[in-house]
Amino acid sequence: MDILAGLIQTALLAGGVLALAALGEVLAERVGVVNLGVEGLIALGAMTGIAVVSVTPEPWLGMAAALGVGLLAGMIFSLATVVVRANQVLAGLALTYIGTGLASTLGKPFSGAPAQATFARLDIPVLSDLPFFGRAFFSSNILVYIIFLVLPLALHYLMFHTRHGLNMRAVGENPAAADAAGIPVLKMRFWYTSIGAALAAGAGGYLTLAFVPSWSEGVVAGRGWIAVALVIFAGFRPINTVLAALLFGFITALGFVGQARNWPVAAPILAMLPYAGTIVLMILPVLAWQKMRRLMAAPEGLTQPYFRDER
Amino acid sequence: MISTKELSRRGFLNMGAAAGAGLVLSQTGLIRPAHAAAPLAPVKAEEALIAFGHTGPTSDEGWTWAHDQGMKAVEAAFPGIKTTYVESIPYSADATRIFRQFVSQGANMVFATSNYGDFLYDVAKRAPKVGFYECDGRNPLDNLGTYYVQHWYPTYVAGIAAGAMSPTGKLGYVASFPVPSVYSGTNAFLMGARTVNPNATLQCISINSWFDPQAATQAGTALLDNGCDVLFGIMDEAGYLQVAQDRGKKAVMWNTDLRRYGPDAYISSIVVNFNDFYVKQVGRRLEGSWTPTYELLPMGGGVDRDAWGATVPAEVAAKADAVRTKMMTEGYSPFVGEIKDAKGNIKVAKGQTMTEQELYHWNWSIEGVSGLDG
Repeated sequence: MDILAGLIQTALLAGGVLALAALGEVLAERVGVVNLGVEGLIALGAMTGIAVVSVTPEPWLGMAAALGVGLLAGMIFSLATVVVRANQVLAGLALTYIGTGLASTLGKPFSGAPAQATFARLDIPVLSDLPFFGRAFFSSNILVYIIFLVLPLALHYLMFHTRHGLNMRAVGENPAAADAAGIPVLKMRFWYTSIGAALAAGAGGYLTLAFVPSWSEGVVAGRGWIAVALVIFAGFRPINTVLAALLFGFITALGFVGQARNWPVAAPILAMLPYAGTIVLMILPVLAWQKMRRLMAAPEGLTQPYFRDER
Repeated sequence: MISTKELSRRGFLNMGAAAGAGLVLSQTGLIRPAHAAAPLAPVKAEEALIAFGHTGPTSDEGWTWAHDQGMKAVEAAFPGIKTTYVESIPYSADATRIFRQFVSQGANMVFATSNYGDFLYDVAKRAPKVGFYECDGRNPLDNLGTYYVQHWYPTYVAGIAAGAMSPTGKLGYVASFPVPSVYSGTNAFLMGARTVNPNATLQCISINSWFDPQAATQAGTALLDNGCDVLFGIMDEAGYLQVAQDRGKKAVMWNTDLRRYGPDAYISSIVVNFNDFYVKQVGRRLEGSWTPTYELLPMGGGVDRDAWGATVPAEVAAKADAVRTKMMTEGYSPFVGEIKDAKGNIKVAKGQTMTEQELYHWNWSIEGVSGLDG
């Protein structure tokens, strides 16, 4: 039981990076913009978070700065993809390289030093003392609750239970029709893509301020790409996205526990589990239930720049 | 025929590239050139260019950082000398391009701080006037030497302290890949621990990376959840030390002094120091006496245990240091048979001492180490 509780706790902690970055990507993709710059944005946010707390030891300030830098980078990306209508895939890849490179260059003075302030474990009276559940769910830092509970519920409500959310989805599905209905397509795309980028950089802030409390080049180690993949896996839905991140974190942690307990499975197979599991979970539901294919489909207008005069 | 276990630390990614002749050579170990090479012509310090090709970023506070310190030592020792370096060189044809670039820039000496195998070999072969060194290399040439550290001795010393500070006797190890550096590390660590705690065991988790703080953090957590109370590993960062600190457990690290990440958890570190080696070899190159050497730097001359952590009891430190002193003054080696592998087969006969080459190429787990042999 202790092992399972530990598993869930590390899955939450490690999954936080993926969940927050993937939530940002959901926002962008729902309005029809695929942002492949997540890896670079996480690096930028991670470096910014550490840099800020090294001056002012206040984790919230570090997190806010990470979000701010992400918003700024996102606005540049939106300018390129939404306003100028450059190719989204290329602009995203460029953002990844720029973000990773900038973060390593600017981060040199801070690399290798422990974070001066971090989000500490938040004990919740009564709940944290519960057997099993206390260790599993209620012994994390405050960001974990925001990322896994507050944000997905809020975004789900916004996207699926408000008029604004309907408009958002319309922009992603069919920008021409949305435009005809009077929805400000470009404005919507610009801001949600930028906010999505801010969340991705926030994931970087989470990484260095709450999970691995130090910065060094390469600390992101490809998690940005996994976040992009999780969005597709979760069918572009916020609640599914955090569950997918949790599941991914859980299977990863399971691989480590398997090695620690000497399960008679080769280590490379255990390390492969999260990826193999993703493929299986992508295929099985569709095979079992044809309707899943439509439910899980990407927004129709994804990656398509919108030109009003070609309507 | 091709076993991943024959590959070395960091050389793992060379597997694909080494499929040709290089692999045959590497499996036979160090082959010295048949004839003595003539020394390369002398160079004035002001005209010399020394190049370093690194596997990671110099800011990693670990392996590459230590080599970068070596470059700075060279700059200090030979005023006016020019140096250049490239970080994070991939194990691909890009490496060949970068090393060739060093040669065309006019480098007199090139140090590759990791095992680039054929990617470096081809460049060295075509540039006979340039002196090359490959860290953990296997294929020497008349102008290509190799160097590495005898890390198993300080690891054994740290293992003694770890064994004494582990109430349960369950030790954990965050491994990268099942390669000789890892085997010699795990085995030496457990052998040291067993001198004070005969029932100690070592559990390994491989994370398939030399540098992935997120995975190392998770692996460290899994090991502690599973009952381990002292962690060791071969990471280029401090991820699992921070886990040990948070959970009130202990850890032994690699490469550099990392105690600031976990002052209470820190036992020691297997610290590497290539400064003297680099200064000496550059000096030989400048004065015109350089021919390649094939070195395993000894404890005290390139690798050592770090100063003990604040929570290591004095008597534990004294006990471990007594063995260290014996190794350094009397040439004592604890790697004497009978040694059994994890399956119980006798691999080293009673009374037989393992040679440095055997330790360097160690590719099996001793009894008590689990998780590496699959």
